[in-house]
Amino acid sequence: MAIRINPTLIDELNSFGAEDVQLCYHCGDCSAVCQHSGEIFNFPRKSMRRLQMGLEQKIETTFEPWLCYYCGQCSTQCPREADPGESMMSLRRWLISRYDFTGIARQFFRSKLVEVLSIIGVAILTGLFLVIYGFSGGNLQIYDGEGAFLPSTFIHKFDLLIGSVMAIFLLINAIRMWYFTMIKGVDFNIPWWYWLKNIFTLPLHFFTQKRYAECESKNKSGIFMPWLIHLGLMLGYAIMLVLVMVYIEELQYGPDIIWKVHIFGYLASIGLIIGTVYFIRNRLIKSKYVQYKKSHDTDWVFVCLLFLIVLTGIAQHILHRTGIPYWANIIYVIHLMCVVPWLLRMPFSKWAHLVYRPLAMYFAAVYTDAKEKQEVISGSYAISVK
Amino acid sequence: MRTGVFFCQVENGKNLNIDAIAKYSANLPGVEIVQILGVKPHLDAKLLSEIIMTNKLNRLVIAGDMPGYYKPVFTKAMLLAEQNTDEVRLASFQEHGVRGEYALDRAKAIIACANMAVPFSLVASPKRNPVSHATLVIGAGIAGIQASLEIANAGKHVYLVEQTGTIGGHMAMFDKTFPTLDCAACILTPKMVSAGQHEMIHLLTKSRVSEVSGKPGAYRVKIHQHARYVDVDACVACNICADVCPVKVESEFDSRISLRKAIYIPFPQAVPNSYLVDPENCTYILSEGQKCGACVKKCPKECINLNETDKDIDIEVGNIIIATGYELLDVGKIEQYGYGKYPNVLTSLEFERLTNASGSTGGRIVTKTRQINKKTGADEWIFSPEGAPPRNVAIIHCVGSRNKNYNAYCSRVCCMYSLKFAHLIKEKIPNVNCYEFYIDMRAFGKGYEEFAERIKHEGTFVVRGHSTNVEMKGEQLIVRGEDILNDKMVEFYVDMVILAVGLIPAKGTDYLSRILGIARDPDGWFSELDYNGNPTDTERGGIYVAGMCQGPKDIPDTVAQASAVAAGVLGSISSGKGIGHLSSVTLSEIESRAKIIHTL
Repeated sequence: MAIRINPTLIDELNSFGAEDVQLCYHCGDCSAVCQHSGEIFNFPRKSMRRLQMGLEQKIETTFEPWLCYYCGQCSTQCPREADPGESMMSLRRWLISRYDFTGIARQFFRSKLVEVLSIIGVAILTGLFLVIYGFSGGNLQIYDGEGAFLPSTFIHKFDLLIGSVMAIFLLINAIRMWYFTMIKGVDFNIPWWYWLKNIFTLPLHFFTQKRYAECESKNKSGIFMPWLIHLGLMLGYAIMLVLVMVYIEELQYGPDIIWKVHIFGYLASIGLIIGTVYFIRNRLIKSKYVQYKKSHDTDWVFVCLLFLIVLTGIAQHILHRTGIPYWANIIYVIHLMCVVPWLLRMPFSKWAHLVYRPLAMYFAAVYTDAKEKQEVISGSYAISVK
Repeated sequence: MRTGVFFCQVENGKNLNIDAIAKYSANLPGVEIVQILGVKPHLDAKLLSEIIMTNKLNRLVIAGDMPGYYKPVFTKAMLLAEQNTDEVRLASFQEHGVRGEYALDRAKAIIACANMAVPFSLVASPKRNPVSHATLVIGAGIAGIQASLEIANAGKHVYLVEQTGTIGGHMAMFDKTFPTLDCAACILTPKMVSAGQHEMIHLLTKSRVSEVSGKPGAYRVKIHQHARYVDVDACVACNICADVCPVKVESEFDSRISLRKAIYIPFPQAVPNSYLVDPENCTYILSEGQKCGACVKKCPKECINLNETDKDIDIEVGNIIIATGYELLDVGKIEQYGYGKYPNVLTSLEFERLTNASGSTGGRIVTKTRQINKKTGADEWIFSPEGAPPRNVAIIHCVGSRNKNYNAYCSRVCCMYSLKFAHLIKEKIPNVNCYEFYIDMRAFGKGYEEFAERIKHEGTFVVRGHSTNVEMKGEQLIVRGEDILNDKMVEFYVDMVILAVGLIPAKGTDYLSRILGIARDPDGWFSELDYNGNPTDTERGGIYVAGMCQGPKDIPDTVAQASAVAAGVLGSISSGKGIGHLSSVTLSEIESRAKIIHTL
């Protein structure tokens, strides 16, 4: 089948952050140094080649960019300063925009203005709605219980509504990802039991991100700091999401502390606060880790908005416990003004990698199994012909 | 004439004050407009034509390091503005050697000439001094020897200055030359001997140039000659002194893979064929005559004098040829290759000495064997003739070359010598597997491509893809890389890794450039006057460059350049016109001469 090329692809990727792809002269140093590059998935050099040649379809149907965790060794080693690590990162951004059927993600990644304005717009709308709702039946002096400004039952319904909107978009995008990579991108048969056999990789990679830890296996200290922090942040985030979606009524209950619920909230908050501060700091001082040297606008929005959410969340919690419900309510409104655009942005932003990455690991495991079997079959065929 | 002057740079000339030049050119007669377009500007012929039309320009001067690069756009603009396209004049800084201390005045003069449409070379002829007939050659590698022989054979005196104890340079270390696989020593040693015996060549080994003064045609040079401690004329190289010498140190000539004594001869065919003492390691000299002195007692010719002192020699020469050559990049700082960490990772020069028949293993290619140092009790890895030959060898190209982190340039010889290595290994060890990891195969010379094809047909595995990872698992070296043409990641288990290390200018290059006043390229090599037209001349009159010190090149090119330099030197001596330095002509003189020609 003929492959259509898109000669402007490389220019398009420019706005996603890959600026130096054209410098690559294909020495293969990056692939050689990469811990994750192997027999079947071989990157980042190959992706650089595909970008230079404008093989849009090929890039769209591969999940190789998701197998890279961006440790940055390739960029450090690169003799041409072509920054393969950042190119892989940009490809992930581009893929997010491709999986997204609405085209919103593309606008977000390409324009800072659109992104910031949409966040502010959604935040203002949310704020207006909450304030009007609050004053229609509640009292700003009451945080919880009878006559509360924002009753927890209402917030629960509100959360579930936003959450399900987000989940629908995300689900459609994930299905599109599966279609692109595993239907369009695979030219051999994948037996159905391989899908069952490898299902464990999904939770395994989701909860441990062990490939990220392998990134610097050569490192003598043993623990790769960005992995640890990232894991803390991610677990904190996942716990918080469950608490907010399911246990919001207990969470908002007060002023007493319900330890069996709140303890999870505290742990999650610690993970989130350490994570966001660490990443903001590294991006600001451009630390020794190469992956923080270049920051796309969406990266900044991601960490800063999350930091704001965590901060306001903690603040309203403390204010409520210390008996200042007036300010607790105000901060709570601000908190929700950040949370709603954040949640609605999820399927269209960097955040979506929470879903795509474990999926890619799962697909990769299935693909590897099938590919190996395929090679065994074709190999034996070749021998029998002789 | 209404002239517009446009400044377009290809490279950012840090030392050149473009604003000052622009100010000067604005005051030139007929100049209507001066524009500084910056480094690598994106020019639009239409916009330029509008500038031409609004200012009614009928002559354009493009000034910059390589203005020819932008000439087509300006020509098009002139066409669009319906002006004579012949009036696009170039003021090329690079071509006329705008660098060093006279750069500013030179650039101004070039623009002044271009503005008057007078060729710069026509007016810029320096005052010429009478030429002293002797020539100084700094560095006695193949380039220095070749140039010296050419000049001496024409009957002129040559002072050949060499820093080490023997002439021959790097070529003397090689086993074979590519692509003909001729024996390097067979080509070089006859030249060395005739240079050593030539009555017109004054050989000054263990010497370095310490001071240069005077003007082109009559340079006064002070040469500091280190004590050799052995009488060159009396020594018969009988080796008795080295037998009794108790001190063992690493041999520089053998790329530090074997040991020599403190009194030594670099290699048996050394010229002058005499022993010398290494004062940094000799017990007698270090203890100021208190200890040892065994060699003095044993020497049958009584030619060793360990109390000899350094001396200074003053000479006057007309021309100076720099042929200081190169050295290898310190590959230890590129950590991923494991050089210095793993015993059987070698640099190209180390392998060259290993495979050389005059090397420590007698030309047998072996892996290092472990030995316990008797003094310290620590493990040592040495090459012994009884060592096991490698069964798998990886040769990695472009180590530190074409790499923005180290040398951005191509070292030019590595591809070919790496292929040569593969051939030598295959020739000496029949069942060996040889893997070449390359990025691009640069077989550019006569017979080189054929040589590369021949090596491929001999069964060497040529892998397109550069490996950066050399790891050690137990006793086994593993080279990991990407086989790009085969679309596979590969891991080879090998016994020996040879790194084709990039080349950098020799250590003294910086020092020489300072005392001689010769500019250097950003990469550190000496810069020639004009790469295309005058590849051997330098900015200073009567000083020439030959061989590697001007930029990486192979032996044929080096020899050719050395001969070319000799032609230049002999021309300056025999023409009777003398030689001069452009700095002797001032800006105003050039201007007035240009005016005279302009009015003619």
